Amino acid sequence: MAEDVYKPGNLLVSLKRHAAAIATGLRYLLSTKRMTVRYPEFVIDLGEGYRGMIRWHRDRCISCSLCAQICPAAAMKMYKLPGEKKMYPGINYQRCIFCGFCVDVCPVFALEHTPVHDISYEELDEMIYVPTKFDTEWVSPAAKEGARPVKVVFDEEVGLRHEPQ
Amino acid sequence: MTSPGSSELRGNPYFWYRLMGRDEEGYDVYELFIGPQHPASGHMRIIVRLDGDIIVDAEPDIGYVHRTMEKLAEGREYLKNIPLFERATIIDAANITWGYVRAVEQLLGLEAPPRAEYLRTLLAEINRIASHLYGFGIAGIMLNHSTMFMWAFGDREVWVQLAEDLTGARLTHSYIIPGGVRRNLPQDFKEKALKAIRYMEKRLQDYERIFVKNPVIIARYVDVGVIKAEEAKRLGIVGPNLRAAGVRYDARIAEEYGAYPELDFEIPTREEGDAMARLLVRIEEIKQSMSMIKQILDKIPDGPIFHEKYYRMLPPKLKEFVEQTGRLKLPGAFIRLKPEPGEAVARVEMGHGEVFYHIVSDGGIKPYRVRIVTPAFRNVVLYRYLTRGARFMDLPAIYGSIDYFPPEGDR
Repeated sequence: MAEDVYKPGNLLVSLKRHAAAIATGLRYLLSTKRMTVRYPEFVIDLGEGYRGMIRWHRDRCISCSLCAQICPAAAMKMYKLPGEKKMYPGINYQRCIFCGFCVDVCPVFALEHTPVHDISYEELDEMIYVPTKFDTEWVSPAAKEGARPVKVVFDEEVGLRHEPQ
Repeated sequence: MTSPGSSELRGNPYFWYRLMGRDEEGYDVYELFIGPQHPASGHMRIIVRLDGDIIVDAEPDIGYVHRTMEKLAEGREYLKNIPLFERATIIDAANITWGYVRAVEQLLGLEAPPRAEYLRTLLAEINRIASHLYGFGIAGIMLNHSTMFMWAFGDREVWVQLAEDLTGARLTHSYIIPGGVRRNLPQDFKEKALKAIRYMEKRLQDYERIFVKNPVIIARYVDVGVIKAEEAKRLGIVGPNLRAAGVRYDARIAEEYGAYPELDFEIPTREEGDAMARLLVRIEEIKQSMSMIKQILDKIPDGPIFHEKYYRMLPPKLKEFVEQTGRLKLPGAFIRLKPEPGEAVARVEMGHGEVFYHIVSDGGIKPYRVRIVTPAFRNVVLYRYLTRGARFMDLPAIYGSIDYFPPEGDR
């Protein structure tokens, strides 16, 4: 490719190349192929494998504390709940890096990744999830407001296409 | 000491020279500070000395994003260092952690199963394409070619999406772990990857028309920032910058790791050693990586993705889950990997060049010392040697063509 960029060009070659560059730009300007997702109206459905917000199931947890031990960011911590002998994990989303090691090491599937990733907080303290708060379903705020889920599809012409479901 | 405004200094001609921007011999040298507020690609500063429009000297002033990674690594267990080192080069996470994992595997006496090696190579090549596109976009915007910037970053999204399908995360994959990889190949991955490759092949032709063969870019890039093979070898340059100077050196063939010995690929080199050559080498590497991805998807062997020694520790219920979903479960013993005392070195070819790891283990659960030599750190010296005698206008062109990534150089 592009061997001739080193050859001394003349005015004609130059003009041809300028025209080719401008024509290519114009072709894309006029085409309707766009990769962008208009986020609050549309939200990408990330599917099963995505490493999003972590859901903890209290009924499955055996208090082995492996999740707290493996956490590379020290986001996961064991909490003692009042009136309970066992310790349960809580998570600090100020620190979490979503590496998913805690999910992978959990021997009883008490921790799971969800596809939810678009949570925002007003206060830093809200990002700390003690066990009682950690044991709740995640809801995407955009989806709750009625955003239409779209699916990412690979396309030879556009690269990525987002198809409404 | 006298203060700068004191009368003794004012009587000194050097004071006036300096005030007028002349050096001590009276030459008209103008000192210009570029950065550190994000001059282009990241947090660094270039101190440029100019004689009129000609660069007399340029000094890269790095370290603004130094995070003491080597020291932090000494306080963490072996597994926990993987997400840490990823953050050195977040755009090329698979390659930078692979070097570390290879060194740890040597210490542990582990070897990943063949399928895992293929999967590692697959993600490494996807990351290489994404990394080159990132550099491509930055090089474009430094020449004020915003279209190239938007296109390269948009097309990088395709490869990031592909990596997400494989690993579950867009950039910080934490995919390569000692003994294997964390996820198996998804069912429809091959189809998606082939579509992405066909799309990219078409786009590269458009890139050629709008950027590479654009007379404006040719004028800015050809014969700018020339480095010859001998000089590049002497300075210890690595990666595409070295290969663009005509030296056929690549850790993928020098070290023969992963699935590379079984793949058919070329190491693109050029003789010119200028900014255009560095750009062309990167484009050629994108093509080679795409060909490698095709080969990997055709050739990938069946089998386990994790070393038997640790996979055996999983209870039957977890093994069933791993087989069904393709998502690996880790045994509890994996948290505190305990290698034998000793030392290990490993190197891996990243998108930017060769990364080198040296780990010293004292037999504990944490490394005694980890030394990382990143490709960006080895290439940063180019700022000084490529810019001397160039016009100031050429500085952004040279800067963009080196593909320097500050967080990687600073660690």
